[in-house]
Amino acid sequence: MNRLVLLDNEAVQSLRDPAHRKHLQVISQILTANTRKVQGRSVQTAVPGAVRVEAGWDRTAATWAFANQLRIADIPLDREQADSAASIRKRTQVSVADAHLGAAIQAATGNVTVITSDPRDIHRVAEGRRVDIVAI
Amino acid sequence: MPEYDAIARINELLDSTDPETLNTSMRIPKALRDAAAIAVSELGVAPSTTILTANALRSMLEGAVVLAALERHFEEYPELRPTLADLAVAAAEMDGHPLAGQPELLRRSAGQVQRRHPDATPEDVLLWAEAVQSCAESAA
Repeated sequence: MNRLVLLDNEAVQSLRDPAHRKHLQVISQILTANTRKVQGRSVQTAVPGAVRVEAGWDRTAATWAFANQLRIADIPLDREQADSAASIRKRTQVSVADAHLGAAIQAATGNVTVITSDPRDIHRVAEGRRVDIVAI
Repeated sequence: MPEYDAIARINELLDSTDPETLNTSMRIPKALRDAAAIAVSELGVAPSTTILTANALRSMLEGAVVLAALERHFEEYPELRPTLADLAVAAAEMDGHPLAGQPELLRRSAGQVQRRHPDATPEDVLLWAEAVQSCAESAA
């Protein structure tokens, strides 16, 4: 079974700064995911576009050079994801970034892990869909 | 080529959308090729053996290049290299393992396993911790 590992705003921000207090925990997750990948397991790490905007992750900026090397894929806010996120936001009153996280969770076909500083909002936007939470 | 440049170049190539393909003279064991062909035709694991091979190679390269980048990061910041205990907790959390909520048990177990098996993996620690907990429950 494949697994999608999603990052929230603070998880992304922790990657920019080695002194960030959550950096080690998030790096441990990235290391675990990619060790499994090398072992032949299907694991993908990704960040929804709206989360990347909120976190200020500009892939062209030198300050994000390390994060850029971690092959964290973008989940674009395309038409389908935007419709889903808008609907989730209307129902749950969460931020745009969390709504896009919810759309990504609900669109995933396999197991989902979310690295987040706000597990309660993630459960809200998952709307009953099983999601494994890494609380940071 | 310096390692940093190699990592950047591999990432650049993995991100390429260039549709150009080429025939290679790569030699692989015949039995492996035949197994792949059967897996495609009978199990439907991929549309073709070429796609199966390319996907497996891509996945391995994507993981390996990230591990190389992390290794460079840990060389620069040795204090940020996760311990076996950190990785056991991370593995449990990622999968929603029942012991994910007991990080102290996992950290204790990591110490115990590592004393006996210096090359233990995070999965070894999880198994050890489950056994410890099972014994404790049986004794209660």
